[in-house]
Order: sequence, then structure tokens, then C-alpha cells
Amino acid sequence: MTERYVARPSGTRLIQGRPSDHADTTAPTYLPYAATASTEPGAAVHPKVRGEQIKLLAYALATVVISALTEPLWLATALFGVILLAGRDAPTLLRRAILATLAFSAVVSLAYIVQTVWISGTIPWKWLWSVNLRVLVMALLTFVFIRRTNLFAALAFSRRLSFMLVLAVSQSLGLRRTLDDFRLAMHSRGLRRAGLRDRYRAAAHAAGWLLDRALANAHESAQALQSRGLFR
Amino acid sequence: MHIPDGFIAPQMYLPLYGLAAGLWAYGARRVGRDLDEASLPWLASLTAASFALSFVALPLPGGTSAHVTGVGLLAVLFGPWHAFMAASMVFVIQALLFGDGGVTTLPLNALAMGFVGAISAYGVYRVTPERWRVIGVFLAGWIGLFLPALLIALALGAQPLIAHDAAGVPLYFPFGFAITLPALLIPHALLGIGEGALSVLGWRLVERLRVRYRND
Repeated sequence: MTERYVARPSGTRLIQGRPSDHADTTAPTYLPYAATASTEPGAAVHPKVRGEQIKLLAYALATVVISALTEPLWLATALFGVILLAGRDAPTLLRRAILATLAFSAVVSLAYIVQTVWISGTIPWKWLWSVNLRVLVMALLTFVFIRRTNLFAALAFSRRLSFMLVLAVSQSLGLRRTLDDFRLAMHSRGLRRAGLRDRYRAAAHAAGWLLDRALANAHESAQALQSRGLFR
Repeated sequence: MHIPDGFIAPQMYLPLYGLAAGLWAYGARRVGRDLDEASLPWLASLTAASFALSFVALPLPGGTSAHVTGVGLLAVLFGPWHAFMAASMVFVIQALLFGDGGVTTLPLNALAMGFVGAISAYGVYRVTPERWRVIGVFLAGWIGLFLPALLIALALGAQPLIAHDAAGVPLYFPFGFAITLPALLIPHALLGIGEGALSVLGWRLVERLRVRYRND
């Protein structure tokens, strides 16, 4: 059973345990992590939150260190280390990292090969190894971080930042799904592909709808936060 | 533009993080002196809208499409600081939750697309005379895309100058200004026309809805 943290309507403090009568069953299970951060000096930080924050800090430090590496041997060692860190997820995450970086890296690498061969007649092997390994290691590290870390908990040092992140992400996913519906609806309503003018009008209406929806969401969220007394 | 991690040297992205952090702190104060029940969800919703705007296809002749940034439209409707903060949050979400774009390129994207894009778009819109508002919105959309492209081209083109080995071989992004400037500016000058047109249509729609976003 998923562990839940439930906000009490009367204050900012949270209780841990089974869902109570006050539980908002529609709220994502990660939301209450946000509220564990407190502005009160000396307030205890939830151990899970502390763990996620340490992971975030370690990720930031590792990113800076790896980005400064220029020797292919060191970068290959770092890649090996990150693959070990990924564990059983390594094949999946490695594939995702390669796909995420392939287009940009391939275009830049091929163009640079053409340029150096044209100018000096040699292939820049060291540059190719170091840059492509660095790009791959950093992308893989990011995907491992995303897989292993609850970002909402990691950012719980600031209640407001964490709440905003939860609200923004949950709304983003909903808006994105509706945009997909718009796109499919437009495709399904014509035998031929829509013309440029129609596609512009459809895109503009989608943009207008997004902004209108954003306003409505803001009102709903503000009322929800107010009614739960989360800022008092 | 989604530049992956590994192409920008620490000599550039670390100072940019410092600069961006200062602007984020100031922006947070400008958006709401202290984010409260009203301003926090408003900024969150704007961020969500900005995120979703990047999935709105920008139709191009020939049946293809690119993607809207929406920074110009957001700046015109809500002001430059709201647009900057929302765009920055989008980059954070994309980088840290979806692995799209890099964390080392985040400050560059936030400063170029979020800050400069929003400030320039809003500035152009504000200096345009009232009776030419439509032209102002179009130019805001265009410059909100073109000027960030110029800054990113300059940042990429500077990499071989700031990070190279003893023999002068680049260690990060390998091409100088002679390649990055035309490679980014020519397509973005054309894409900006579409972004400008879409900004006008989106702006007209919002005006027609008569929704007073600013006052909410």
C-alpha cells in the first residue's frame, strides 16, 4: 500500500499514516512531501525528504565534476560508474539517454568531422570521444537521478517552491493531454490535411484556450489552498 | 532549442547560474512580494500554460511544423517578469522531471529565452503606438524568438574561445561565431514570422474573451 501523508485543514503540520477523513484523495501522493518543509527554525525535516535533498546535492556536484572532465579515459570511467549506479535500469536508461542526445550530438559531431577533415585531413578522435562520452554520461546521470529521486521531496526545503512545482507539473500534464486531444480532433475532422491558414487558426485557438484554462486553474488552486489553510 | 549537457563549458554555465539566480530572486519578488495563496497558484498555472504552449505546433509551409515558445505572447499579456519566471520554471521541469534539455544549459536558456526574450518582446510591444498594437504583438513574437537565438548563437560560438587545449582544439562545442550565427539566426528569423503571426492570433483571441488576466 502506498504510504500517504495527509494535510490537516486546520494548519500547516502534517500527520503520517493511513488516509483520514481529511485526506484529499485526488491529490498526488507526492504532494504532502512539499508540505513537510517548514519555515519554522529548528523544525525537524522528514528523513525521506533529507535523503532526497542529499541526492539532489550529490547530483549537482557530480554534474559539475563530470562537465569539467575532458579526458576520454576519465569520462569512460565515469560512464562505468553511472551504469553501476543505474543497476538493473541501466539498459533502459542508457537507451533513453542515447535517444535524447543523439540528434544534437550526431549533427554537431558529423559537421565537425567534415570541417576538420576538410581543413586538416584528420578525424578529431579525441574530441569525438570526450564530447560524446561527456554528453552521454551527463544525460544518463540525469535519467538515473530522475528515476531514483523524488524531486518534489528534494525541493521541499521551500514549501512554496515545492507547492508551485507540484501545481505546475500536475496542470502541465493535464493541459498537454488536452492539446493532444485538440490535435487528434482536428485530424479526424477532415479527409485531407488542413491548410496552413486552418492550422494557424487551430494553433491560435489552442494557445488561447491554454491561457483561459490557466486562469481558471489559478482560481481553483488558490481557492483549494485557501480552504485548506496551507499558508496560515 | 534543447542543447544537451556537455556542450557548454563550466567557465560559462557557472557564472550564468549566478546571474540567473539573482534574476530569479528578483523576479520572485516582482511577481509577488511574497508568494501567497493568490500569486503562487497563478504563477504555477502560468508555468503550466507556458509548458503546454511549447507543445502547440507552429505550422510551416509545406505541411511541416516547429514549436512555439510563447514567451512573446506571455510577456505581452502578463508582463516580462511573469513570463520570465514561468519560462524558467518550464526549463526546470523539462530538465529535471523529463530529462529534456540539460541542467548545465538551463541558465543559458532561462536568461536567453526567458529573460531577454520576455524583456525584448515586452519592450517592443510597449513602444509600439496604440493604433499599431497588432504590429507590436507581431514584432514581440518575432523578437521574443529571434533575440534569444542570437544570444544562444553567441554563447555556443564562444565555447571554442573559452575552453580549448594547448593546441587550440576545442573541448566543448566546437564551432565559432562564423558558423553558429548564420546556422541559428537564418532559420529563427523565418520561424519568428510564424511565432509573430501566432502571437497576434492568440492575443486577439484573449482580447476577444475579455479576460482580465492581469487583474486576477
